[in-house]
Amino acid sequence: MNGPFKPAKPILAAAAPAPASTVVAKSNEPLPFGKTKQAREAEKALNHIVDDFDDNPKAMAYFYDLFRRVYCRGESIERDGALIGTTCIQAPEELVYALGATPVRLCNGSYHYDQIGAEFMPAKSCSLVKATLGMLTSEDPVPRIGKMNLVVNPTTCDQKKKASALMQEMGHEVFDLELPNVKESEASRVYWRRSVREFAEALRKVTGKRLTRKNLKAALARTQRAEKAFRVMDGFRKASPSVFLGKDAFLVVNAYFFDDLDRWCEAVEMLNVELQQRHDTAVRAAQKKAPRIVFTGSPPIFPNLKLPLLIERAGGVVVSDETCSANRMLYDMTAVDEWLVNDMVDSLADKYLKPCTCPIFTKNDDRRRRLLELVSKFQADGVVYQAFAGCQVYEMEQRSVARTLNDAGIPMLYVETDYSPDDEGQLSTRVEAFLESIKTRKRMRQ
Amino acid sequence: MTYFGGLDIGSTAIKVVVIDSAGKLVGEHVTATGSLFYKNAKEAFETLLARLGLRRDEVGYLIATGYGRKLYKEADDSISEITANGIGAHEVGKAFGGVGTIINIGGQDSKAIRIDSMGGVTNFVMNDKCAAGTGRFLDVAARNLEIGLDELGDYHFRAVAGPLDINSTCTVFAESEIIGLLANGHGKGEIISGIHASIAKRTVRLAKKVGLEDRIYFDGGPALNKGLVAAIQEELGREMVVPEHPQTTTAFGAAVLARSEYLADAEDRLAGRKAEAQAKAVLAEVAANANCGTGCTAGGCATHGA
Repeated sequence: MNGPFKPAKPILAAAAPAPASTVVAKSNEPLPFGKTKQAREAEKALNHIVDDFDDNPKAMAYFYDLFRRVYCRGESIERDGALIGTTCIQAPEELVYALGATPVRLCNGSYHYDQIGAEFMPAKSCSLVKATLGMLTSEDPVPRIGKMNLVVNPTTCDQKKKASALMQEMGHEVFDLELPNVKESEASRVYWRRSVREFAEALRKVTGKRLTRKNLKAALARTQRAEKAFRVMDGFRKASPSVFLGKDAFLVVNAYFFDDLDRWCEAVEMLNVELQQRHDTAVRAAQKKAPRIVFTGSPPIFPNLKLPLLIERAGGVVVSDETCSANRMLYDMTAVDEWLVNDMVDSLADKYLKPCTCPIFTKNDDRRRRLLELVSKFQADGVVYQAFAGCQVYEMEQRSVARTLNDAGIPMLYVETDYSPDDEGQLSTRVEAFLESIKTRKRMRQ
Repeated sequence: MTYFGGLDIGSTAIKVVVIDSAGKLVGEHVTATGSLFYKNAKEAFETLLARLGLRRDEVGYLIATGYGRKLYKEADDSISEITANGIGAHEVGKAFGGVGTIINIGGQDSKAIRIDSMGGVTNFVMNDKCAAGTGRFLDVAARNLEIGLDELGDYHFRAVAGPLDINSTCTVFAESEIIGLLANGHGKGEIISGIHASIAKRTVRLAKKVGLEDRIYFDGGPALNKGLVAAIQEELGREMVVPEHPQTTTAFGAAVLARSEYLADAEDRLAGRKAEAQAKAVLAEVAANANCGTGCTAGGCATHGA
């Protein structure tokens, strides 16, 4: 673990993940932050992620430690240039990197911030939007992002759209990145390409830099490295028996929200080396007969990995996912035809619109096709569909997804939940019963 | 003789069932969960064993289920109450020509389960986080009306007028609604049949989500309440299969599973022994012939002589 990606602070010295309490006890300096509600919430989640499982990959220590530093101890991450907050994966980060700025994804998974943000939203609204607003209104938010020069808010679901004005009221500069409602039409493609150009223009005003062929190409190379590392990691999840658990995969991609891009890539590449070894030496992360699950719906974001953790603690494995906090974020790559600025921007725009399977679009056959594809590629036995209570679009798409999967003979568990820990007991019964029914089904087939 | 046990540690009651090696029910016991549920579960199991005159080691396999299943470490295995309920209802339902949909109302939740012809769970739904329409709801209502839980059924049929509307589904709000109705001079029978109708409506809505098969099985403690059974049947528009012991179906399912797990283990062991014996025979044969490298068999060999 003494690789080249060792950051300035020697946080990687402890290769083996130690429980946070030990870390806190060892350090002599006062840690008032560790006593805050959000720090305790993060620590609890992290302890479950790390300690509830044996044989975590050693290279995961980088990520466990990163989350401990940032979420449990409130350390801030050093950044280059202007800081651009994004509220969705639909904001093309390549443009941000090209202009020497750093993007940070603001989507938040904290129940503590969810309760704070509830003040701004109607009773039945999405935990994710509430938590993001709750974080943005905090004096000292976690992760400690520092002063943002701009927040880019893609106009996706209604709640995020309306959150834009609220963020402005909180004193943030917000750029509404206009996303069309329909994906298939040519008009929407033209519209979206223009929106992306306007975003580049907004970034120019903030950074004082102009988009060039050279800087965009360099930015594409950097993000493509991340996409490549992700794809390699993702590939290891096809192995049966599993060598890598979903809870770690979610954590890795969650780290991408705020971690330094190059350092993140190095850490994932290191992880991939270890996963290859685990694969070669037939190390098992789960039992051979563990039900293999594809996770879809509202995104699990640290510390709210409640449902994936329940699945894996009950003996299942999340082998793949169709969510905007993981697979949908880094899976697709930009296909450039002509290496000229305008053509590159168009290709980039296409990458963000065409493969997107977000339920905000009118029609969403792509999402159902994608789920069937993931189930077959990753040899999954079933699908777990999470909808955050108040997330209308995911709640509405549940029916069509359930029908498609049912027709294909794939069992699905639909779970409506939020960030609160209240329903964990009941959910664990439902998850276990679902996994048991999959096991029975498999036995019958034999 | 070897026996098998199912222990269902629910939020309100602990249910224990013991079956024999043929899968026949030998005995059952129901007791309140209380606050010391581990101690109470242990005692419930021991009480039943004592009553049946069995030693603990005569129970070959014990499976725990229900919300306290994980904390009862003495069990050989644990299983979710949904799977156990499916197996139990499938077994009990055989006598009624087989069941496909199960409605279960427990102390703090209600569920609808769909099972296939083998008793495997194909789909299920549970109520939301709150206790609306569960056993706890009936408990609170009975207390407000100052009658026993077991009297609810009788009062239901004593209603002269039709059931009153109970609009609140929340247990807490329904409590004040009931008190209001009492204060306005309404009869207990009408109020109770109203409560039953309101639970029936919620329950049937839940059951429709998983789909209604020809025969619907109704179990859980509240299935002992004949008034509630009548109300649900009215809402469904047809009769249900209500077993003789609705409280213990899930524990029975766990016991049935314990038996088949034990038998599968025994078969594995037997197969292992057979394989061992076969391996020994092969090794012995090889050893007997090992003195010659030419492939000859002992006796009459050209190279080695007799």
